This record gives sequence, C-alpha cells and structure tokens, in this order.
Amino acid sequence: MTPAPKTYVRPMNRWWMRHPAYRRYLLREGTSVMVAAYALFLLAGMVCLVLGETAFNLWRGFLQSPVSVIFHLAALAAFAFHAWTWFKVMPLTTPPMRFRGRPVPDRMIFRAALWAWGIASLVLLVLAMRFL
Amino acid sequence: MSQTRTIMIECLRYDPEQDQAPHYRTYEVPFTDEMSVLEGLQYIKDHLDGSLTFRWSCRMAICGSCGCMVNHQPILSCQSFLRDYYPARIRVEPLEHFPIVKDLVIDQSDFLGKLESVTPYLVPAQPLTPEDGPNLQTPRQIEDYLGYAQCINCLLCYAACPQYGLNNAFTGPAALALLARYNADSRDAGQKTRMEVVNAEEGVWGCTLVGLCSEVCPKHVDPARAINRNKINSTQDYFLRFLAPFGRGS
Repeated sequence: MTPAPKTYVRPMNRWWMRHPAYRRYLLREGTSVMVAAYALFLLAGMVCLVLGETAFNLWRGFLQSPVSVIFHLAALAAFAFHAWTWFKVMPLTTPPMRFRGRPVPDRMIFRAALWAWGIASLVLLVLAMRFL
Repeated sequence: MSQTRTIMIECLRYDPEQDQAPHYRTYEVPFTDEMSVLEGLQYIKDHLDGSLTFRWSCRMAICGSCGCMVNHQPILSCQSFLRDYYPARIRVEPLEHFPIVKDLVIDQSDFLGKLESVTPYLVPAQPLTPEDGPNLQTPRQIEDYLGYAQCINCLLCYAACPQYGLNNAFTGPAALALLARYNADSRDAGQKTRMEVVNAEEGVWGCTLVGLCSEVCPKHVDPARAINRNKINSTQDYFLRFLAPFGRGS
C-alpha cells in the first residue's frame, strides 16, 4: 500500500476576516449576548421585587439613570437586529409549507413574521400604557 | 474576436516534496472576454509553468471538479470569467478547509467518507426486482427532493463553511443535503438508518446557520435549508423517543 501523501492544512486563524458573510454571522450571533444580558437585567428586577419594596424601588430608580437609558437603547438596537436577521433565516428552518398546492415563498414567511412582531409589540405597548 | 488584455493571476503553489508551507506565484495571463478562470489556469499550465496542478474535466459546471477559491470566494473556475475581475489581480487558492495535496488540488477523502455515511442511495421498504416494474412518482413527489438532487459534489459548500473548517468532524453541507434528498424521496424507506447521522453532535447540530453554503452552491441545492429542516426532525425524534420508548427501538 502506498503511504498517504504529505498534505498541508491551512490554519483557521482570523477566519472571520475572510468573508463578509462570516462577519455578518458573528454580528447576528453576537447580538444574542445582549439578549441574554437583558434577560439577566429583568431577572435582577424580579429578585428585587421578591426582596421587598425598598429593593424594588432602588431597581426602578436605576431604570431612570443615564446608564440604564443607554443600556436600554443598545438592547433595543440589538434586539431589533437579532429579530430582523432571525426572521430573514426563518424560512430555512420551517418545515416545507404549501398554500393552495404551491410552496409558500420565503418572503411571505419573512413578512408574516414581521407582521406578527409588529402586532405583538403594539399590543404590548397598548397594555403597558393602559396598566402602567 | 474580442480584444486581448492581460490579467495578473496569483496562484497558491505547494509541492509536498519541496515545500514546508504553501507560497504564492504571480503569472501574467493574456485573456479575451470569453475566457474563464479555468482557461486562465490552463494558459499558465500550457505556456508559463507546466508544473501548476489543478483538477478539471467538463468545463460546463456539471462535473464539480474545478472548484477553487478566487479572492476568498469558493467558485467553480469554469463558471467564473476573468473579465469580471479585470483590472484587479486575482488570487486563486485551493478550496478552504481541506488538506492541500499539491497546488490547487485538495484531498477529498474526508468528504467521501461522510458521503458514504449518509447512505446516499434509495433504501426500498421491501427488496425490489426488475419484475416489480417502475417505481412511479407524481410530479409533486419529485418536487420534494429534486432541488437537493442537483448536488455535483463540488465541495464549494464545505469551503464556505467555517464550522467544517473549525471542526472537520461535522458531517457538512453537501452530505447532509444529500441525506435530506434521500429522506424526502417517496421511494425511500431508509430514514431510520440515516437518523443516527442527523442526530449526532456532528450531524445537523454542528450547523450554526452561517448560510454561506447555500449562497455559493452553483446548483442552488440550498444545503442550509436541508440541514435546518432536519433539525426539526431530529428534535421530534428526540422527544418521541421519550413518548414511545418501546415503539422506536433503542
């Protein structure tokens, strides 16, 4: 048997520099760090609520600080980008769907997701303004 | 007859008998509008440097032999034209993420093993003989898998997939798309045998949906879709195992 030929394997260092699609992908995945950070922030609020009125008021006071406002704006931007890019790839993750015998086009799934997102946000806003 | 211009082609060169690591060599190649990158490489081999090694066969995007990286983009060199890069110089390299055998030639054996692992052929429910007659399908049944069946094993999708580059245990786009192709075929009953490959950490779950595989596919196979749809099947399989422990084997 002939020996296996000597081959060269190129290293993967700085692989994200090789294609813009890799950087877009890392940005998409990177925004989920902000999603997790915001979830922890809300969790902290819940913990404060359990601890008592003083702790909860302290947390609410922090909400109005400039740091919190900047954090919220950054989180909103990250969430919007995350949701947008997720809706873009959503058609790839859904099972094959047909409408009147024809496959549902990707853009329909994307648009349906955007509508659902918009309506859910609106309902949340109305509820928040009604009860808070 | 179109006008002749000159383009600089920078080629990765690697001779396993001489070199410790690859290096680059630049060639001045005269070209006309109808010349592909492959024809540029053939010009180098015929007129400038006979030692340049690369694979090619059909010259019409069917055989899948001439895949390479041009300016970090995986392409079929027969399907890309020098005029589209001129006046910039182009850098031609072997497909990323595969071991280089010589110059632009990569070692495909890892992929071939993976292809074999997905049982890439029809597994009938009962053994059939020619006397059983044709195995008929409706146009709708053909539509379910025809897109995935266009794969020419050119490996551009593997060169586009950083997950495969970072961990080549990942089964990868083309093999998983072909797995989906046979699973989607109404004549096939081999889904259960393929489920082990799908469910593995190196199966569909090795994909993080970078999505470039589908963008670079010259046959529009859309492996990203095939893989991510199989994540649903894998999840169902996982939970059904708990619901019906006695009905679905171990």
